[in-house]
Amino acid sequence: MANMSKEDQEYLKKEFSKMSKPVKLVFFTQQFECQYCQLTRELLDELSALSSKINVEIYDFVKDEAQVKKYDIKRIPAIVVKGEKDYGIRFYGVPAGYEFSTLIEDIIDVSNGTTSLSKETKEELKKLTKPVHIQAFVTLTCPYCPRAVRMAHQMAMESDLVIGDMVEAAEFPQLSNKYFVSAVPKVVINEEVEFEGALPEKNYLEKVMEAEGASMKS
Amino acid sequence: MDGLTFSLKKDEDKVELEDFYDVVILGGGPAGLTSAIYTARAKLKTLMVEKKEIGGEAAATDVIENYPGFPEGINGHALADRMVQQAKRFGAAVYNGEVMNLNLKSSPKTFLIDGQHVSAQSIIIATGTSPKKLNVPGEKELKGRGVSYCATCDAPIYSGKNIAIIGGGNSGLQEGLFILKFVKSIKLIEFLPQLKAEKILQEKFHAHENTQVLLNHQVLSINGDKKVESITVKDRASGEQKKIPVEGVFVYIGLIPNTDLFKGQLKLNEWDYIITDENLQVSIPGVFVAGDVREKGLRQVATAIGDGAVAAVSAEHYIETISKSRITNSK
Repeated sequence: MANMSKEDQEYLKKEFSKMSKPVKLVFFTQQFECQYCQLTRELLDELSALSSKINVEIYDFVKDEAQVKKYDIKRIPAIVVKGEKDYGIRFYGVPAGYEFSTLIEDIIDVSNGTTSLSKETKEELKKLTKPVHIQAFVTLTCPYCPRAVRMAHQMAMESDLVIGDMVEAAEFPQLSNKYFVSAVPKVVINEEVEFEGALPEKNYLEKVMEAEGASMKS
Repeated sequence: MDGLTFSLKKDEDKVELEDFYDVVILGGGPAGLTSAIYTARAKLKTLMVEKKEIGGEAAATDVIENYPGFPEGINGHALADRMVQQAKRFGAAVYNGEVMNLNLKSSPKTFLIDGQHVSAQSIIIATGTSPKKLNVPGEKELKGRGVSYCATCDAPIYSGKNIAIIGGGNSGLQEGLFILKFVKSIKLIEFLPQLKAEKILQEKFHAHENTQVLLNHQVLSINGDKKVESITVKDRASGEQKKIPVEGVFVYIGLIPNTDLFKGQLKLNEWDYIITDENLQVSIPGVFVAGDVREKGLRQVATAIGDGAVAAVSAEHYIETISKSRITNSK
């Protein structure tokens, strides 16, 4: 248990007791692990040791082509938080710093199959007809970022047409440059709509509905 | 990204709003959180409402070194998190949402929170401040394209780059020390002929070889097409102008109070800060003000916390007084 304090472990054990169904953390790395791959793997191992309902499945980004294709993984380290099905929740980069809480909250939501999105948002998301790909760029020291990621992940849970990525901007500079990420949180939806800052749920949803159209989800 | 931490946000139960509270605190920075601890502990039904992120401006500070009790300093967000837990322990409800249609003069005070009607016997205003803008060409256009007001959020993106900090006060230098963990170099631009920051911060900042300070310089523009490429500054003594190539600009030139919601209802000073008496009361009974949003000499976590306590106790006395007068009147 190198990463987590004893106090946090105890707190998490209590939190994980709220889980109803098992959750699989599907992790993509490679034989010669990338800078943050090893840290991410250790973190996931530590989490799975805290609850029998959390299991980790590890794949090699280079060798396990079929799995990479199945989950449509673009880069590593990558985590898919999977429950009864693959909801489209992705983490690209280590979920440390403020994003650690995002991972924990996702695990509990996925286990229980519920989100805290409003009834209106859930209804609106049902109107989606085309795939929506939300990329939420963050840094691990940004206190305002988890909300932007959680919104993307909860929307992915509520709609089969939504995929929500957390992207740790500092770990993927080329991708960040592509989207001119120089302030976080920055959210890019379907390559067409983008915004900075943690928007309230209602405004975030408006952006998602605005971006509906581009096709990403297979 | 050396020394990664794992920040765990605890007790995130969703609060169901009720129709009536004894005290509603507007703003969830150190002042508001302290008020919540005090009023909840005094057994007053307390709601704290924060529009953005709990912890206020302080939560976006990497290390707070001058708040007593933490000899090594404490991360702003971690400090706020502890205060939230403390307020909740005494029964305060902490809600993330927006207050509108506020009527301070009515009794009880009435308003909408996320569209829902709520009323309260007493209101504590602790809405804090927001970063002041430079108001130079290019700033607005390049916000999020290299112009930043949050070092803890954005500094990691500028890894290995040359950046500028505008403003040589405590915030500029404190945040500069965090930014230095990532960037190649910092040019610090100060309008006045000397830095305003505490000496200890100046010493720490100057100890880094990759920093340079330009005193008595005015920023004329931030330049770039799709992202920041340079800034143009003017030497205020000689009038000489020069272009400095940088890829990021962090602005720390001061604060503006978040008082839009109260304009026309409360007495504000010429810079829009709320004027209070020594008990942090305003001219409207039952309305109290704490923290950076009020007119005062020093805006720090330590002073915000003192304000939070004073405003809470004043609110408690007010509620006691009106409860007694109701009992007397009903006899």
